[in-house]
Amino acid sequence: MLTIWIIFRREVAQYFASPLAYLIAAAFLLLTGITFNNDVALSITVKPVEPALIPDLLAEIMVLIAPLLTMRLLAEEHREGTVELLLTAPIADSSIVIGKFLSAWAYFTFLLALTLLYQFILVNISQPDIAHTIAAYLGIWLYGGATLAVGLLFSATTENQILAAFLSLITLLVLYFGDSAGQIVANLDVAAILFNLTLRGHYAPSFSIGVVRAEDVVYYAGVMAVALFIAIRLLESKRWRG
Amino acid sequence: MIVVKDLVRRYGTHTAVDRLSFTAQPGEIVGLLGPNGAGKTTTMRILTGFLPPTAGSVQVGGFDVQTDSLEVRRRVGYLPERVPVYPDMTVRGYVLFWARLRGVPRPAAAVEAVLKRFDLLDRQHKLVRSLSKGLRQRLGLAQALVHNPPVVILDEPTIGIDPGQVIEVREVVKSLRQEHTVLFSSHILSEVEQVCDRVVILHRGRMVAAGTPEVLGRQMKPGTHLYVALGGKAPAEIKKLLQKLDGVHTVREQGAGFVISSHGERDQRAAVTALSARHGLPLLELRPIELSLEDIFLTLLEKG
Ligand SMILES: Nc1ncnc2c1ncn2[C@@H]1O[C@H](COP(=O)(O)OP(=O)(O)OP(=O)(O)O)[C@@H](O)[C@H]1O
Ligand SMILES: [Mg+2]
Repeated sequence: MLTIWIIFRREVAQYFASPLAYLIAAAFLLLTGITFNNDVALSITVKPVEPALIPDLLAEIMVLIAPLLTMRLLAEEHREGTVELLLTAPIADSSIVIGKFLSAWAYFTFLLALTLLYQFILVNISQPDIAHTIAAYLGIWLYGGATLAVGLLFSATTENQILAAFLSLITLLVLYFGDSAGQIVANLDVAAILFNLTLRGHYAPSFSIGVVRAEDVVYYAGVMAVALFIAIRLLESKRWRG
Repeated sequence: MIVVKDLVRRYGTHTAVDRLSFTAQPGEIVGLLGPNGAGKTTTMRILTGFLPPTAGSVQVGGFDVQTDSLEVRRRVGYLPERVPVYPDMTVRGYVLFWARLRGVPRPAAAVEAVLKRFDLLDRQHKLVRSLSKGLRQRLGLAQALVHNPPVVILDEPTIGIDPGQVIEVREVVKSLRQEHTVLFSSHILSEVEQVCDRVVILHRGRMVAAGTPEVLGRQMKPGTHLYVALGGKAPAEIKKLLQKLDGVHTVREQGAGFVISSHGERDQRAAVTALSARHGLPLLELRPIELSLEDIFLTLLEKG
Protein backbone atom coordinates (compact mmCIF):
# COMPACT_ATOMS: atom_id res chain seq x y z
CA MET A 1 0.00 0.00 0.00
CA LEU A 2 2.66 2.44 1.07
CA THR A 3 4.74 1.79 -2.02
CA ILE A 4 1.70 2.34 -4.25
CA TRP A 5 1.28 5.68 -2.54
CA ILE A 6 4.96 6.61 -3.03
CA ILE A 7 4.81 5.75 -6.75
CA PHE A 8 1.46 7.50 -7.08
CA ARG A 9 2.75 10.69 -5.50
CA ARG A 10 5.76 10.90 -7.78
CA GLU A 11 3.64 10.36 -10.88
CA VAL A 12 1.01 12.90 -9.90
CA ALA A 13 3.77 15.45 -9.32
CA GLN A 14 5.11 14.60 -12.78
CA TYR A 15 1.70 15.32 -14.32
CA PHE A 16 1.58 18.70 -12.72
CA ALA A 17 5.11 19.45 -13.93
CA SER A 18 4.55 18.23 -17.47
CA PRO A 19 3.84 20.67 -20.31
CA LEU A 20 2.04 17.95 -22.24
CA ALA A 21 -0.38 17.38 -19.38
CA TYR A 22 -1.15 21.10 -19.28
CA LEU A 23 -1.63 21.13 -23.03
CA ILE A 24 -4.07 18.27 -22.72
CA ALA A 25 -5.87 20.05 -19.90
CA ALA A 26 -6.14 23.19 -22.04
CA ALA A 27 -7.48 21.29 -25.05
CA PHE A 28 -9.87 19.47 -22.74
CA LEU A 29 -11.27 22.68 -21.31
CA LEU A 30 -11.43 24.35 -24.71
CA LEU A 31 -13.41 21.51 -26.28
CA THR A 32 -15.76 21.06 -23.36
CA GLY A 33 -16.18 24.83 -23.04
CA ILE A 34 -17.15 25.31 -26.68
CA THR A 35 -19.56 22.39 -26.56
CA PHE A 36 -21.12 23.63 -23.36
CA ASN A 37 -21.47 27.13 -24.73
CA ASN A 38 -23.24 25.91 -27.86
CA ASP A 39 -25.59 23.74 -25.86
CA VAL A 40 -26.50 26.53 -23.47
CA ALA A 41 -27.14 28.84 -26.43
CA LEU A 42 -29.44 26.26 -28.02
CA SER A 43 -31.22 25.56 -24.76
CA ILE A 44 -32.49 29.13 -24.62
CA THR A 45 -34.66 28.63 -27.69
CA VAL A 46 -34.60 25.16 -29.17
CA LYS A 47 -34.29 22.38 -26.57
CA PRO A 48 -33.62 21.79 -22.89
CA VAL A 49 -30.01 21.38 -21.70
CA GLU A 50 -28.45 17.96 -22.16
CA PRO A 51 -27.46 16.61 -18.72
CA ALA A 52 -24.86 14.18 -20.10
CA LEU A 53 -23.40 16.67 -22.55
CA ILE A 54 -19.83 16.85 -21.22
CA PRO A 55 -19.49 13.13 -20.41
CA ASP A 56 -20.78 12.25 -23.90
CA LEU A 57 -18.15 14.44 -25.47
CA LEU A 58 -15.44 12.95 -23.24
CA ALA A 59 -16.47 9.44 -24.23
CA GLU A 60 -15.29 10.31 -27.71
CA ILE A 61 -12.17 12.27 -26.95
CA MET A 62 -10.84 9.92 -24.26
CA VAL A 63 -9.87 7.60 -27.11
CA LEU A 64 -7.30 10.23 -28.01
CA ILE A 65 -6.53 11.65 -24.59
CA ALA A 66 -5.93 8.39 -22.74
CA PRO A 67 -2.96 7.37 -24.94
CA LEU A 68 -1.41 10.81 -24.51
CA LEU A 69 -1.84 10.78 -20.75
CA THR A 70 -0.41 7.31 -20.27
CA MET A 71 2.24 6.83 -22.98
CA ARG A 72 5.03 8.11 -20.73
CA LEU A 73 4.25 6.08 -17.63
CA LEU A 74 6.24 2.91 -18.26
CA ALA A 75 7.89 3.65 -21.61
CA GLU A 76 10.01 6.35 -19.99
CA GLU A 77 11.15 4.01 -17.24
CA HIS A 78 12.30 1.59 -19.89
CA ARG A 79 14.09 4.23 -21.92
CA GLU A 80 15.87 5.88 -19.01
CA GLY A 81 16.73 2.56 -17.41
CA THR A 82 15.04 3.52 -14.14
CA VAL A 83 12.98 0.36 -14.50
CA GLU A 84 16.13 -1.48 -13.42
CA LEU A 85 16.12 0.41 -10.12
CA LEU A 86 12.37 -0.02 -9.67
CA LEU A 87 12.60 -3.75 -10.25
CA THR A 88 15.52 -4.06 -7.83
CA ALA A 89 13.79 -2.05 -5.11
CA PRO A 90 12.17 -4.14 -2.38
CA ILE A 91 8.66 -3.64 -3.74
CA ALA A 92 6.10 -5.73 -5.61
CA ASP A 93 5.97 -5.27 -9.38
CA SER A 94 2.22 -4.82 -9.14
CA SER A 95 2.49 -1.75 -6.92
CA ILE A 96 4.51 0.01 -9.65
CA VAL A 97 1.78 -0.55 -12.21
CA ILE A 98 -1.09 0.18 -9.83
CA GLY A 99 0.52 3.35 -8.48
CA LYS A 100 1.06 4.63 -12.00
CA PHE A 101 -2.45 3.73 -13.10
CA LEU A 102 -3.99 5.47 -10.11
CA SER A 103 -1.97 8.60 -10.84
CA ALA A 104 -3.30 8.75 -14.40
CA TRP A 105 -6.81 8.16 -13.17
CA ALA A 106 -6.38 10.84 -10.52
CA TYR A 107 -5.22 13.33 -13.13
CA PHE A 108 -8.22 12.45 -15.29
CA THR A 109 -10.45 12.88 -12.25
CA PHE A 110 -8.92 16.31 -11.76
CA LEU A 111 -9.74 17.24 -15.36
CA LEU A 112 -13.24 15.89 -14.93
CA ALA A 113 -13.67 17.90 -11.75
CA LEU A 114 -12.80 21.06 -13.67
CA THR A 115 -15.81 20.49 -15.92
CA LEU A 116 -18.09 20.47 -12.88
CA LEU A 117 -17.85 24.21 -13.21
CA TYR A 118 -20.23 23.98 -16.16
CA GLN A 119 -22.68 22.02 -14.07
CA PHE A 120 -22.62 24.70 -11.39
CA ILE A 121 -23.41 27.28 -14.03
CA LEU A 122 -26.29 25.15 -15.26
CA VAL A 123 -27.74 24.75 -11.80
CA ASN A 124 -27.84 28.52 -11.57
CA ILE A 125 -29.46 29.25 -14.90
CA SER A 126 -31.87 26.34 -15.32
CA GLN A 127 -33.15 23.17 -13.68
CA PRO A 128 -30.95 20.37 -15.00
CA ASP A 129 -31.62 16.73 -14.17
CA ILE A 130 -28.91 16.39 -11.55
CA ALA A 131 -29.32 12.64 -11.02
CA HIS A 132 -28.89 12.09 -14.75
CA THR A 133 -25.74 14.20 -14.75
CA ILE A 134 -24.29 12.36 -11.78
CA ALA A 135 -24.91 9.00 -13.47
CA ALA A 136 -23.21 10.23 -16.63
CA TYR A 137 -20.21 11.51 -14.67
CA LEU A 138 -19.90 8.21 -12.83
CA GLY A 139 -20.02 6.45 -16.18
CA ILE A 140 -17.37 8.58 -17.82
CA TRP A 141 -15.17 8.31 -14.76
CA LEU A 142 -15.18 4.52 -15.02
CA TYR A 143 -14.93 4.66 -18.81
CA GLY A 144 -11.92 6.97 -18.51
CA GLY A 145 -10.28 4.61 -16.04
CA ALA A 146 -10.67 1.74 -18.50
CA THR A 147 -9.13 3.70 -21.38
CA LEU A 148 -6.22 4.80 -19.17
CA ALA A 149 -5.57 1.21 -18.11
CA VAL A 150 -5.38 0.22 -21.78
CA GLY A 151 -2.98 3.12 -22.42
CA LEU A 152 -0.78 2.02 -19.52
CA LEU A 153 -0.71 -1.52 -20.88
CA PHE A 154 0.80 -0.33 -24.14
CA SER A 155 3.22 1.92 -22.34
CA ALA A 156 4.62 -1.28 -20.81
CA THR A 157 5.28 -2.82 -24.20
CA THR A 158 7.92 -0.43 -25.54
CA GLU A 159 10.42 2.25 -24.63
CA ASN A 160 9.10 4.44 -27.43
CA GLN A 161 6.37 6.73 -26.12
CA ILE A 162 5.01 7.61 -29.55
CA LEU A 163 4.71 3.97 -30.46
CA ALA A 164 2.97 3.27 -27.16
CA ALA A 165 0.48 6.07 -27.79
CA PHE A 166 -0.12 4.88 -31.33
CA LEU A 167 -0.75 1.28 -30.32
CA SER A 168 -3.16 2.24 -27.58
CA LEU A 169 -4.96 4.67 -29.88
CA ILE A 170 -5.56 1.88 -32.38
CA THR A 171 -6.72 -0.49 -29.68
CA LEU A 172 -9.07 2.08 -28.19
CA LEU A 173 -10.47 2.88 -31.62
CA VAL A 174 -11.20 -0.79 -32.13
CA LEU A 175 -12.74 -1.01 -28.66
CA TYR A 176 -14.79 2.07 -29.41
CA PHE A 177 -15.97 1.41 -32.95
CA GLY A 178 -15.65 -2.37 -32.88
CA ASP A 179 -19.39 -2.87 -33.13
CA SER A 180 -19.37 -1.41 -36.65
CA ALA A 181 -18.27 -4.88 -37.69
CA GLY A 182 -21.69 -6.04 -36.57
CA GLN A 183 -23.28 -3.72 -39.09
CA ILE A 184 -21.13 -5.19 -41.81
CA VAL A 185 -22.22 -8.77 -41.11
CA ALA A 186 -25.78 -7.48 -40.92
CA ASN A 187 -26.75 -9.92 -38.19
CA LEU A 188 -28.59 -8.34 -35.28
CA ASP A 189 -27.44 -10.89 -32.72
CA VAL A 190 -23.79 -10.58 -33.64
CA ALA A 191 -24.14 -6.83 -33.68
CA ALA A 192 -25.66 -6.86 -30.20
CA ILE A 193 -22.87 -9.04 -28.82
CA LEU A 194 -20.20 -6.89 -30.39
CA PHE A 195 -21.85 -3.74 -29.12
CA ASN A 196 -21.74 -5.20 -25.64
CA LEU A 197 -18.01 -5.69 -25.94
CA THR A 198 -17.24 -2.09 -26.90
CA LEU A 199 -16.46 0.79 -24.59
CA ARG A 200 -19.40 2.85 -25.74
CA GLY A 201 -21.72 -0.16 -25.66
CA HIS A 202 -21.59 0.15 -21.89
CA TYR A 203 -21.89 3.88 -21.83
CA ALA A 204 -24.28 5.15 -24.50
CA PRO A 205 -27.31 2.99 -23.67
CA SER A 206 -26.98 3.42 -19.90
CA PHE A 207 -24.88 6.07 -18.15
CA SER A 208 -25.44 8.51 -20.96
CA ILE A 209 -29.20 8.42 -20.46
CA GLY A 210 -28.90 8.49 -16.69
CA VAL A 211 -29.12 4.76 -15.99
CA VAL A 212 -26.59 2.99 -13.75
CA ARG A 213 -26.41 -0.73 -14.49
CA ALA A 214 -24.23 -3.14 -12.51
CA GLU A 215 -23.12 -4.92 -15.69
CA ASP A 216 -21.59 -1.71 -17.04
CA VAL A 217 -19.68 -1.06 -13.84
CA VAL A 218 -18.45 -4.66 -13.95
CA TYR A 219 -17.43 -4.24 -17.60
CA TYR A 220 -15.25 -1.19 -17.00
CA ALA A 221 -13.80 -2.67 -13.81
CA GLY A 222 -13.07 -5.81 -15.80
CA VAL A 223 -11.29 -3.91 -18.57
CA MET A 224 -9.16 -2.15 -15.97
CA ALA A 225 -8.34 -5.37 -14.15
CA VAL A 226 -7.39 -7.24 -17.31
CA ALA A 227 -5.32 -4.38 -18.72
CA LEU A 228 -3.47 -3.86 -15.44
CA PHE A 229 -2.87 -7.56 -15.05
CA ILE A 230 -1.30 -7.72 -18.50
CA ALA A 231 0.75 -4.59 -17.77
CA ILE A 232 2.13 -6.19 -14.60
CA ARG A 233 3.01 -9.33 -16.52
CA LEU A 234 4.74 -7.28 -19.21
CA LEU A 235 6.77 -5.49 -16.57
CA GLU A 236 7.73 -8.79 -15.00
CA SER A 237 8.81 -10.11 -18.37
CA LYS A 238 11.46 -7.39 -18.39
CA ARG A 239 13.22 -9.52 -15.82
CA TRP A 240 13.46 -12.39 -18.24
CA ARG A 241 14.49 -10.34 -21.22
CA GLY A 242 17.08 -8.28 -19.33
CA MET B 1 27.81 -11.79 2.33
CA ILE B 2 27.73 -12.70 -1.34
CA VAL B 3 27.96 -16.34 -2.31
CA VAL B 4 27.78 -17.21 -5.99
CA LYS B 5 27.88 -20.87 -6.88
CA ASP B 6 27.98 -22.39 -10.36
CA LEU B 7 26.02 -19.48 -11.75
CA VAL B 8 24.84 -19.86 -15.34
CA ARG B 9 22.86 -17.32 -17.31
CA ARG B 10 21.79 -17.80 -20.90
CA TYR B 11 20.11 -15.38 -23.26
CA GLY B 12 18.44 -17.73 -25.69
CA THR B 13 21.25 -19.99 -26.81
CA HIS B 14 23.99 -17.52 -25.91
CA THR B 15 25.67 -18.23 -22.58
CA ALA B 16 26.54 -14.90 -20.98
CA VAL B 17 27.72 -16.32 -17.64
CA ASP B 18 29.09 -19.81 -17.45
CA ARG B 19 29.51 -21.71 -14.16
CA LEU B 20 30.76 -18.74 -12.22
CA SER B 21 31.56 -19.13 -8.51
CA PHE B 22 32.95 -16.58 -6.10
CA THR B 23 32.29 -15.07 -2.68
CA ALA B 24 32.59 -11.67 -1.06
CA GLN B 25 32.94 -11.14 2.69
CA PRO B 26 31.77 -8.14 4.72
CA GLY B 27 34.28 -5.34 4.62
CA GLU B 28 35.68 -6.50 1.33
CA ILE B 29 35.80 -4.87 -2.07
CA VAL B 30 35.64 -7.46 -4.81
CA GLY B 31 36.33 -6.44 -8.37
CA LEU B 32 34.80 -8.00 -11.44
CA LEU B 33 37.25 -7.42 -14.22
CA GLY B 34 36.64 -8.23 -17.83
CA PRO B 35 36.46 -6.81 -21.33
CA ASN B 36 33.21 -5.91 -23.10
CA GLY B 37 30.71 -8.72 -23.13
CA ALA B 38 32.48 -10.67 -20.38
CA GLY B 39 29.30 -10.98 -18.35
CA LYS B 40 29.93 -8.40 -15.63
CA THR B 41 26.61 -6.61 -15.99
CA THR B 42 24.72 -9.87 -16.29
CA THR B 43 26.29 -11.17 -13.07
CA MET B 44 25.45 -7.97 -11.22
CA ARG B 45 21.90 -7.95 -12.48
CA ILE B 46 21.42 -11.42 -11.11
CA LEU B 47 22.86 -10.39 -7.73
CA THR B 48 20.46 -7.46 -7.50
CA GLY B 49 17.44 -9.62 -8.24
CA PHE B 50 16.81 -7.96 -11.59
CA LEU B 51 17.51 -11.04 -13.69
CA PRO B 52 16.90 -14.63 -12.60
CA PRO B 53 19.78 -17.07 -13.04
CA THR B 54 19.38 -19.90 -15.53
CA ALA B 55 21.14 -22.29 -13.16
CA GLY B 56 23.24 -22.23 -10.03
CA SER B 57 22.66 -20.47 -6.74
CA VAL B 58 23.26 -16.93 -5.59
CA GLN B 59 22.97 -15.82 -1.99
CA VAL B 60 23.18 -12.31 -0.64
CA GLY B 61 23.26 -11.86 3.14
CA GLY B 62 22.17 -15.46 3.54
CA PHE B 63 19.10 -15.07 1.31
CA ASP B 64 18.64 -16.75 -2.02
CA VAL B 65 18.03 -14.32 -4.89
CA GLN B 66 15.28 -16.48 -6.30
CA THR B 67 13.33 -17.62 -3.28
CA ASP B 68 13.87 -14.51 -1.11
CA SER B 69 14.18 -11.85 -3.75
CA LEU B 70 12.64 -9.09 -1.61
CA GLU B 71 15.01 -9.77 1.29
CA VAL B 72 17.96 -9.63 -1.08
CA ARG B 73 16.74 -6.41 -2.68
CA ARG B 74 16.36 -4.83 0.76
CA ARG B 75 20.06 -5.41 1.40
CA VAL B 76 21.50 -4.21 -1.88
CA GLY B 77 22.38 -0.78 -3.20
CA TYR B 78 22.86 -0.79 -6.95
CA LEU B 79 24.34 1.61 -9.43
CA PRO B 80 23.66 0.32 -12.96
CA GLU B 81 26.12 0.87 -15.77
CA ARG B 82 24.14 3.74 -17.27
CA VAL B 83 22.97 5.88 -14.34
CA PRO B 84 19.17 5.75 -14.47
CA VAL B 85 17.62 9.14 -13.79
CA TYR B 86 14.30 10.91 -13.84
CA PRO B 87 15.34 14.05 -15.72
CA ASP B 88 12.35 16.08 -14.55
CA MET B 89 12.87 15.57 -10.84
CA THR B 90 15.04 17.65 -8.58
CA VAL B 91 18.22 16.13 -7.18
CA ARG B 92 16.69 15.98 -3.73
CA GLY B 93 13.34 14.67 -4.97
CA TYR B 94 15.09 11.90 -6.88
CA VAL B 95 17.10 10.61 -3.93
CA LEU B 96 14.14 11.05 -1.59
CA PHE B 97 11.97 8.96 -3.89
CA TRP B 98 14.38 6.03 -3.74
CA ALA B 99 14.86 6.44 0.00
CA ARG B 100 11.11 6.22 0.57
CA LEU B 101 10.64 3.34 -1.83
CA ARG B 102 13.31 1.37 0.02
CA GLY B 103 11.66 2.06 3.35
CA VAL B 104 14.31 4.29 4.93
CA PRO B 105 12.96 5.18 8.41
CA ARG B 106 13.83 8.89 8.35
CA PRO B 107 14.13 9.61 4.64
CA ALA B 108 14.66 13.36 4.78
CA ALA B 109 17.62 13.08 7.15
CA ALA B 110 19.14 10.18 5.18
CA VAL B 111 18.85 12.14 1.95
CA GLU B 112 20.42 15.20 3.47
CA ALA B 113 23.34 13.14 4.78
CA VAL B 114 23.99 11.37 1.50
CA LEU B 115 23.73 14.56 -0.55
CA LYS B 116 26.22 16.15 1.78
CA ARG B 117 28.54 13.21 1.45
CA PHE B 118 28.53 13.49 -2.34
CA ASP B 119 28.73 17.24 -2.31
CA LEU B 120 25.36 17.69 -3.98
CA LEU B 121 23.69 19.68 -1.22
CA ASP B 122 24.07 23.03 -2.96
CA ARG B 123 22.48 21.57 -6.08
CA GLN B 124 19.64 19.76 -4.34
CA HIS B 125 16.93 21.92 -5.91
CA LYS B 126 18.33 21.69 -9.43
CA LEU B 127 16.68 19.44 -11.98
CA VAL B 128 18.48 16.18 -12.63
CA ARG B 129 18.51 16.93 -16.36
CA SER B 130 20.82 19.88 -15.75
CA LEU B 131 23.56 17.79 -14.10
CA SER B 132 26.81 17.00 -15.87
CA LYS B 133 27.85 13.42 -16.38
CA GLY B 134 30.16 13.42 -13.39
CA LEU B 135 27.48 14.85 -11.13
CA ARG B 136 25.00 12.30 -12.40
CA GLN B 137 27.44 9.60 -11.44
CA ARG B 138 27.58 11.02 -7.93
CA LEU B 139 23.80 11.19 -7.86
CA GLY B 140 23.76 7.53 -8.87
CA LEU B 141 26.07 6.72 -5.96
CA ALA B 142 23.90 8.76 -3.60
CA GLN B 143 20.86 6.79 -4.72
CA ALA B 144 22.70 3.49 -4.21
CA LEU B 145 23.80 4.37 -0.68
CA VAL B 146 20.89 6.37 0.72
CA HIS B 147 19.37 3.33 2.44
CA ASN B 148 22.74 2.30 3.86
CA PRO B 149 22.68 -1.19 2.35
CA PRO B 150 25.12 -3.85 3.59
CA VAL B 151 25.88 -4.84 -0.01
CA VAL B 152 26.79 -2.28 -2.65
CA ILE B 153 26.96 -3.23 -6.32
CA LEU B 154 28.55 -0.74 -8.69
CA ASP B 155 28.64 -1.47 -12.40
CA GLU B 156 31.56 0.36 -14.02
CA PRO B 157 31.08 3.52 -11.96
CA THR B 158 34.12 5.24 -13.47
CA ILE B 159 33.18 4.90 -17.10
CA GLY B 160 32.70 8.05 -19.15
CA ILE B 161 33.70 10.63 -16.56
CA ASP B 162 36.75 12.87 -16.49
CA PRO B 163 39.98 11.79 -14.74
CA GLY B 164 39.47 14.02 -11.69
CA GLN B 165 36.05 12.52 -11.09
CA VAL B 166 37.39 9.04 -11.66
CA ILE B 167 39.81 9.49 -8.78
CA GLU B 168 37.00 10.86 -6.63
CA VAL B 169 34.74 7.90 -7.37
CA ARG B 170 37.56 5.47 -6.61
CA GLU B 171 38.08 7.17 -3.26
CA VAL B 172 34.38 6.85 -2.53
CA VAL B 173 34.45 3.17 -3.36
CA LYS B 174 37.46 2.63 -1.11
CA SER B 175 35.73 4.50 1.71
CA LEU B 176 32.85 2.01 1.55
CA ARG B 177 35.08 -0.82 2.68
CA GLN B 178 34.47 -0.39 6.42
CA GLU B 179 30.72 -0.72 6.41
CA HIS B 180 29.76 -2.51 3.24
CA THR B 181 30.50 -5.46 1.06
CA VAL B 182 31.27 -3.97 -2.32
CA LEU B 183 31.17 -5.55 -5.74
CA PHE B 184 32.75 -3.31 -8.30
CA SER B 185 33.13 -3.92 -12.01
CA SER B 186 35.62 -2.45 -14.41
CA HIS B 187 37.51 -3.19 -17.54
CA ILE B 188 40.56 -1.25 -16.39
CA LEU B 189 43.20 -3.43 -14.80
CA SER B 190 45.04 -0.70 -12.90
CA GLU B 191 41.81 0.59 -11.42
CA VAL B 192 40.87 -2.79 -10.02
CA GLU B 193 44.39 -3.16 -8.66
CA GLN B 194 44.07 0.13 -6.81
CA VAL B 195 40.60 -0.29 -5.42
CA CYS B 196 39.88 -3.94 -4.78
CA ASP B 197 40.90 -6.44 -2.14
CA ARG B 198 40.12 -9.30 -4.42
CA VAL B 199 39.58 -9.61 -8.13
CA VAL B 200 37.56 -12.02 -10.23
CA ILE B 201 38.52 -11.98 -13.87
CA LEU B 202 35.86 -12.85 -16.38
CA HIS B 203 36.20 -13.59 -20.02
CA ARG B 204 33.25 -14.63 -22.17
CA GLY B 205 31.27 -15.51 -19.07
CA ARG B 206 33.94 -17.73 -17.54
CA MET B 207 36.15 -17.02 -14.60
CA VAL B 208 39.70 -17.12 -15.89
CA ALA B 209 41.46 -16.10 -12.69
CA ALA B 210 40.73 -14.90 -9.17
CA GLY B 211 42.77 -13.68 -6.25
CA THR B 212 44.32 -10.63 -4.68
CA PRO B 213 45.56 -7.97 -7.09
CA GLU B 214 49.20 -8.63 -6.12
CA VAL B 215 49.06 -12.31 -6.90
CA LEU B 216 47.14 -11.74 -10.10
CA GLY B 217 49.47 -8.96 -11.13
CA ARG B 218 52.37 -11.36 -11.00
CA GLN B 219 50.47 -14.08 -12.82
CA MET B 220 49.20 -11.72 -15.41
CA LYS B 221 52.44 -10.11 -16.37
CA PRO B 222 54.43 -12.96 -17.77
CA GLY B 223 57.70 -11.19 -18.28
CA THR B 224 58.24 -7.54 -18.97
CA HIS B 225 57.96 -5.54 -22.09
CA LEU B 226 60.10 -2.59 -23.11
CA TYR B 227 59.95 -0.14 -25.92
CA VAL B 228 63.49 0.63 -27.15
CA ALA B 229 64.65 3.07 -29.81
CA LEU B 230 68.36 3.14 -30.63
CA GLY B 231 70.12 5.21 -33.27
CA GLY B 232 73.45 4.94 -35.02
CA LYS B 233 72.94 1.69 -36.91
CA ALA B 234 70.56 0.10 -39.37
CA PRO B 235 67.43 -1.32 -37.75
CA ALA B 236 68.25 -4.86 -38.80
CA GLU B 237 71.57 -4.75 -36.99
CA ILE B 238 70.04 -3.24 -33.88
CA LYS B 239 67.43 -5.94 -33.89
CA LYS B 240 70.14 -8.60 -33.94
CA LEU B 241 71.92 -6.97 -31.01
CA LEU B 242 68.74 -6.80 -28.99
CA GLN B 243 67.90 -10.41 -29.69
CA LYS B 244 71.22 -11.45 -28.25
CA LEU B 245 70.41 -9.90 -24.86
CA ASP B 246 70.09 -12.49 -22.12
CA GLY B 247 66.47 -13.51 -21.41
CA VAL B 248 64.88 -11.69 -24.33
CA HIS B 249 62.56 -13.97 -26.26
CA THR B 250 60.97 -11.74 -28.85
CA VAL B 251 61.91 -8.50 -30.55
CA ARG B 252 59.21 -6.88 -32.61
CA GLU B 253 59.56 -3.75 -34.74
CA GLN B 254 57.18 -0.99 -33.78
CA GLY B 255 57.38 2.52 -35.19
CA ALA B 256 60.94 3.79 -35.08
CA GLY B 257 62.00 1.25 -32.46
CA PHE B 258 61.41 -2.22 -31.06
CA VAL B 259 59.34 -3.90 -28.42
CA ILE B 260 61.40 -6.45 -26.55
CA SER B 261 59.75 -9.06 -24.35
CA SER B 262 61.66 -11.02 -21.79
CA HIS B 263 60.92 -13.89 -19.48
CA GLY B 264 59.98 -13.59 -15.84
CA GLU B 265 60.34 -10.55 -13.69
CA ARG B 266 63.59 -9.59 -15.25
CA ASP B 267 64.07 -5.91 -15.98
CA GLN B 268 66.07 -5.42 -19.16
CA ARG B 269 66.51 -1.68 -18.85
CA ALA B 270 70.02 -1.93 -17.41
CA ALA B 271 71.00 -4.40 -20.12
CA VAL B 272 69.74 -2.07 -22.84
CA THR B 273 71.64 0.96 -21.53
CA ALA B 274 74.78 -1.15 -21.21
CA LEU B 275 74.32 -2.28 -24.80
CA SER B 276 73.92 1.28 -25.95
CA ALA B 277 77.12 2.35 -24.15
CA ARG B 278 79.11 -0.65 -25.38
CA HIS B 279 78.34 -0.09 -29.03
CA GLY B 280 78.20 3.69 -28.88
CA LEU B 281 74.61 3.77 -30.02
CA PRO B 282 72.60 6.79 -28.88
CA LEU B 283 69.63 5.71 -26.76
CA LEU B 284 66.62 7.62 -28.13
CA GLU B 285 63.87 6.07 -26.11
CA LEU B 286 63.43 3.43 -23.42
CA ARG B 287 60.21 2.78 -21.56
CA PRO B 288 58.27 -0.10 -20.10
CA ILE B 289 55.03 -1.03 -21.86
CA GLU B 290 51.79 -1.89 -20.07
CA LEU B 291 50.01 -4.84 -21.53
CA SER B 292 46.46 -4.14 -22.54
CA LEU B 293 43.76 -6.07 -20.79
CA GLU B 294 43.08 -7.95 -23.98
CA ASP B 295 46.72 -9.10 -24.15
CA ILE B 296 46.51 -10.25 -20.56
CA PHE B 297 43.36 -12.20 -21.23
CA LEU B 298 44.99 -13.82 -24.20
CA THR B 299 47.96 -14.90 -22.12
CA LEU B 300 45.72 -16.14 -19.33
CA LEU B 301 43.62 -18.10 -21.77
CA GLU B 302 46.70 -19.60 -23.40
CA LYS B 303 47.96 -20.68 -20.01
CA GLY B 304 44.62 -22.11 -18.86
N1 LIG C 1 19.36 -8.62 -22.71
C1 LIG C 1 20.23 -9.38 -23.41
N2 LIG C 1 19.82 -10.17 -24.39
C2 LIG C 1 20.68 -10.94 -25.09
N3 LIG C 1 22.01 -10.98 -24.87
C3 LIG C 1 22.51 -10.20 -23.91
C4 LIG C 1 21.65 -9.35 -23.12
N4 LIG C 1 22.42 -8.68 -22.24
C5 LIG C 1 23.69 -9.09 -22.46
N5 LIG C 1 23.74 -10.00 -23.45
C6 LIG C 1 24.97 -10.68 -23.94
O1 LIG C 1 25.59 -11.32 -22.85
C7 LIG C 1 27.00 -11.16 -22.88
C8 LIG C 1 27.47 -10.54 -21.58
O2 LIG C 1 26.98 -9.21 -21.51
P1 LIG C 1 27.22 -8.25 -20.28
O3 LIG C 1 26.45 -7.03 -20.54
O4 LIG C 1 26.94 -8.98 -19.03
O5 LIG C 1 28.78 -7.96 -20.38
P2 LIG C 1 29.65 -6.87 -19.63
O6 LIG C 1 30.81 -7.59 -19.06
O7 LIG C 1 28.84 -6.09 -18.71
O8 LIG C 1 30.15 -5.98 -20.84
P3 LIG C 1 30.41 -4.40 -20.93
O9 LIG C 1 31.83 -4.18 -20.51
O10 LIG C 1 30.20 -4.12 -22.38
O11 LIG C 1 29.41 -3.74 -20.06
C9 LIG C 1 27.30 -10.32 -24.11
O12 LIG C 1 27.71 -11.18 -25.12
C10 LIG C 1 25.98 -9.69 -24.45
O13 LIG C 1 25.86 -9.52 -25.83
MG1 LIG D 1 28.38 -4.13 -18.57
